[in-house]
Amino acid sequence: MENFTNETIDTSQLPKFEEVSFTALQPKYLLVVLIGLLRIIALLVLVPIIVSIFKPEFFSGRVWLILGIVIPVFSIFLIVLSIIAFKKKGFAFREHDVLFRYGVIATNTIVIPYNRVQHVALHEGLISRYFGLAKIEIFTAGGSSSDIEIPGIEKEQAENIKQLLMGKIQKQL
Amino acid sequence: MGTDFSQPQRQSIVGIWVMFFYALQQYGRALWPIILIWAFKFDEINKVYLVVGMLLVFASIGVVSYLKYLNFTFFLDAENEEFIITEGVFNKTKTAIQLRKIQQVNINQSFIQKLIGVYELDVDTAGSNKKEGAIKAISHELALELKSRLLENDKLQRVVGTAETTLEETEQKLFEAAHPFIKISFLSLLKVGITSNYGKSIALLVIFFSTIYENFQNFGDESNIYKEKVGSYIDKNLVLQTILTSILLLFGVVLVVNVTRIVFKFYDYKITRQKGSMLLSFGLLNTKSTIIKPEKVQITTVTRNYFQKKMGILELKIKQATGGEKEERKSIIEIPGCSETERDSILRLLFHQIPERGQMLQPNYRKLIFSVVLSIGLPLLGFLGIGYWLEPIIFEYSYVVPFYVVVIGLIQYFKFKNNRLFIHKNFIIKQSGAWDVSNDIIEPSKIQAITTSQLFWHKKLNIGSIILHTAGGNIEFQLANYSIVKQQVNLWLYEIETSDSNWM
Repeated sequence: MENFTNETIDTSQLPKFEEVSFTALQPKYLLVVLIGLLRIIALLVLVPIIVSIFKPEFFSGRVWLILGIVIPVFSIFLIVLSIIAFKKKGFAFREHDVLFRYGVIATNTIVIPYNRVQHVALHEGLISRYFGLAKIEIFTAGGSSSDIEIPGIEKEQAENIKQLLMGKIQKQL
Repeated sequence: MGTDFSQPQRQSIVGIWVMFFYALQQYGRALWPIILIWAFKFDEINKVYLVVGMLLVFASIGVVSYLKYLNFTFFLDAENEEFIITEGVFNKTKTAIQLRKIQQVNINQSFIQKLIGVYELDVDTAGSNKKEGAIKAISHELALELKSRLLENDKLQRVVGTAETTLEETEQKLFEAAHPFIKISFLSLLKVGITSNYGKSIALLVIFFSTIYENFQNFGDESNIYKEKVGSYIDKNLVLQTILTSILLLFGVVLVVNVTRIVFKFYDYKITRQKGSMLLSFGLLNTKSTIIKPEKVQITTVTRNYFQKKMGILELKIKQATGGEKEERKSIIEIPGCSETERDSILRLLFHQIPERGQMLQPNYRKLIFSVVLSIGLPLLGFLGIGYWLEPIIFEYSYVVPFYVVVIGLIQYFKFKNNRLFIHKNFIIKQSGAWDVSNDIIEPSKIQAITTSQLFWHKKLNIGSIILHTAGGNIEFQLANYSIVKQQVNLWLYEIETSDSNWM
């Protein structure tokens, strides 16, 4: 009991989560995102072409014109959006918690203290694996809305981060 | 502790009947179309075959039930600290539940079990969605004894704990002795039935009247001459009277349905204290009983509306930590019709003190504007758009518009006015709702993760939103003073990270 103190906390002196500098995702990851997008865009372009081969009467000149405008605009919109989303994503590992920032219109920052982490997983997508990237998934008991997924990390670094987190969780127990 | 649970034992012998009826129910549910067809063709069927067939079915179900009874055993393995259930006639299943993983032991009674006079015992563990162990037929004394034995392990752990906790325990015991239990009277349940679920009732009324009105319109369109003729016969007062009586009738029906539902669900609601936990039991036909351990409670919600305030009742909802999302709805425990003193004693049991409201945060007025645009502006725009370009007929319903604007506007205004976040050192309370005003209470130590969020055009205005994630759900508060929010987040993080407080 002698060591027990209960001083007032000066809240302005606490470490500030909003001033943490975030680490950006690997630039290679942008390629992964764009390749993923390319598949969607290819689908958008291919479907009308295939339909027009089997049912040519379905498409008049006007429909082609509308499609010709809508598909490129939509594609560019998607690409710009994912580039912004990529740039805004960032993560930081502090001594006691992990932070992840994301969001295009709104800037969201999620913080999970290490002593609330339930388990950590490493996930490699097909395209990501080709580029040597991995995704770290951090789960809490708070349901899917409070889990963090950090994509676009070098495989080796991801392994290290996982080990670090596992160590932190073990220490809590 | 008279009974020896270390030897495998069977359920109550009358349990065969329970299994028999359950199996019958199951087959009945699976085969009801066939049974229905038979019932219609009753005359054509050879009666002898029918009787023989029925007897055979009953006999086989009976035999299966008996075999199930024979093969179902349970016992406590003291050595490995496990509760073991073996079941199955051909496919044997052995379920071993570690005692320290047991979260809850519920003693329930369904209608069939009530008829036969046995109880059901469910064992709930952490980290799984379904009920892991269930004994379908057991006498009440045995169930209580087994329950206390299953939860004994918990007590052991506590004794091992530090001196402080034992001090706390003795304090609690004194407290328990002083307040034996809470009983929710039939009158309170009636009050709850009358004053809750207005949303549903109003929606019903609206549907009712729109159909009546439509029929009236159709009727008018078809025969104008007829209408003129009849118009002279039917007194206008009479029409008004029938409409009024039908409104009253409908209200009456809604109220009666509501009251019966609540009485059936919550009849004879009793709360008992046991070793610092709350023991609830309620229900008219299906008696449910469950334990709430204060440390497992995540979000406590206190809800009341204007009428309930006048009558001095309120509703408590308790959300416990859940394994999976599917289970989320099930693990909400409702305590309807508490008085204020009862609420305080429950809260004191859960939090060891009555939650206080600390610093108050209000949302920015932009939240009101945003919700008005979303709930009034957009629908109006859609209405105009449809009327202008597609179906001009809907302008005939324009008289609904001012009504809609006023009602929704009022709801949004009160929602905004009631929306508050109170931050105290030990509690976070979020107040929300237009008519039913609810207060969600959490302790900062229950927070699992925190999300802060800000739209880029709100940076200069210094407003932003926060979501506190707990194992029982999220608490969200939008467009508050962002610097206060950030400061609080830092403080909460500090508190969570410097203590190894148990959130479950």
